[in-house]
Amino acid sequence: MAPTGTALDVGIVDDHPVVIDGVRAWLAEEPGIRVGHTGETTADLRAGTVDVLIADLSLDGRLVLSDIAELAAEGRRLVVFSQFTDESLVLDVLNTGVNGFVTKNEGQAHLLHAVRAAAADRPYVPPTTAGVLVSDRSPVAPRLSQQERTSLLWWFQSMSKASVARRMGVSVHTVDMYIKRARVKYAQVGRPAPTKSDMLARAIEDGLVTPAELAGSAQWRPPAP
Amino acid sequence: MNRGAGPSAGESVAVRYTRVISVVVVLIVAVWHFGYDSLILVRGWSRYEPAWAALASWLVLSAVQLVGSVLLLRGALRGPPAPLLTCVALLAGVVAVAAYPRGGAISDLSWAANTVGWFGVLLLAQRPMRELVALLACTVALTTVALGAHGELGTGEAWARLIAQSYTTAGIQLAFVLLSRELHHAARLTADAARAQADRMARRAAGEALHAERRRRYRYLRDRIAPLLHELAEGRAHPGDEGVRRASAIEAARLRRLFAETEDADHPLLHELRACADVAERRDVDVTFVCYGELPDLPVAVRRRLTDGPILALASARNTARVTVVVTAGEVTVGVVADASAGAVPRAVRSAGTSVLFDEKENLLWLESRWRLPVPRSTSASSTTTRW
Repeated sequence: MAPTGTALDVGIVDDHPVVIDGVRAWLAEEPGIRVGHTGETTADLRAGTVDVLIADLSLDGRLVLSDIAELAAEGRRLVVFSQFTDESLVLDVLNTGVNGFVTKNEGQAHLLHAVRAAAADRPYVPPTTAGVLVSDRSPVAPRLSQQERTSLLWWFQSMSKASVARRMGVSVHTVDMYIKRARVKYAQVGRPAPTKSDMLARAIEDGLVTPAELAGSAQWRPPAP
Repeated sequence: MNRGAGPSAGESVAVRYTRVISVVVVLIVAVWHFGYDSLILVRGWSRYEPAWAALASWLVLSAVQLVGSVLLLRGALRGPPAPLLTCVALLAGVVAVAAYPRGGAISDLSWAANTVGWFGVLLLAQRPMRELVALLACTVALTTVALGAHGELGTGEAWARLIAQSYTTAGIQLAFVLLSRELHHAARLTADAARAQADRMARRAAGEALHAERRRRYRYLRDRIAPLLHELAEGRAHPGDEGVRRASAIEAARLRRLFAETEDADHPLLHELRACADVAERRDVDVTFVCYGELPDLPVAVRRRLTDGPILALASARNTARVTVVVTAGEVTVGVVADASAGAVPRAVRSAGTSVLFDEKENLLWLESRWRLPVPRSTSASSTTTRW
């Protein structure tokens, strides 16, 4: 759980210094966030302890999916910030247990939302991820409700939750809840990771899901009485 | 267009025909040699001079017959083994004829000349015709020499017997071969003709399709573009007019879609949408284009229904447009969000499957066209995603 009251420590690892500088500038505008670590290589992924690490997918000229998976398995909170938008890659990255995937063209607001959500173990789904999730037809894909599907699809199309809310005739909060629930369902499938368990625990605290709904999940272990 | 089936079908007709002829020849020669020749040999066993020479000749011919039959059925008698085996058969025939007693050249003791002739039919089936003619001439000569050696050629009756004998042996063999080659030729011609006919029909169908496509495009240009150009040319429409500019942008995008429809692309729907987006980009509209999910094959009519609305929204976009294509298990959804005016998409386009929303708060036109896939696809069949 992220420390409350103190500043949020964020790390940035990207093979392009211009991206590091750009993200640092974005974060500098945010109160309560400070950049505690930056780096350009795979080794820098492990150096430094921060609350949330913003990591690029291609470092040292290769795809670092396995390193990302290892970090997630250790319980590190990660937001992947990548230029890749390929759907199978996005799904693979989410499945490693990272907190969020933000594409570089989605920009500042989505990255900040994703970092804050990651620090609090809460889900955040930017439009690209929404498009990937709603079009996922793999056999292991979780079953989403009609409202969850519609929310993801329209969020992907319009990039405006307010518009989606008006179109669906519900509140923005409700749209946001549908989208988060869809993301939480994805946290229940695939490879186990502490970050996924944390997200599920938080989802129960937030009333997003009930323990009963998580009964069949591989990620969720009910706390001992 | 698949025209591969034509030649292979014609080829297989010819191959099957050759095979049937080969089997018939093998059977004729086997029945003749092992049946008729053996019977003659056993019946006249004591009269051959000497009998062992006749037997040796029969054995050699049996061996040649077995080897030749196997080679013929395997289609391996085109090369040198064929004339070689024929020579062996002919020599065996000479030995057999030499073992006939006096007066036996054309009698119930003579068997070899006719048999060697049939061997020629078998062994030389896949060789030039002249080799068979030469062999048959040799068999006739063999009988003639045998008659001469025994001093039997003095009478007209002997010559008549020789001619009758040659006619019923070498003559029939020659006729058999000529007939089978002629039939083979006819089969090939028929197969070729059928193939040519199929080719012609395929070409005609392609030509008709091309013509229909041209007519469709021409009709479209005549009905939609020509009036606009006429009005511009006659000064009734002004290029400075916002409505005329918009109409031109829409028709330009539709023209691009029309051309894109006949191009060969992996995903025609994306190709056509990109063509429309391209027209908008030329007007300096910033277009984002994203597609998720695996697109099924969609017929041109469906693609048109899915692109009709997006064309209008894209053509009316002022600065930005976001085009999204999402394929889920049951639906293809095309979405366009653009900073266009509320009236950009007339009511007529808002058919079943296309819904339009103008978000006044954000001043955005948001259009969505959906196509429900007729047969629900299995959730696992088309998945390309690899997951742990």
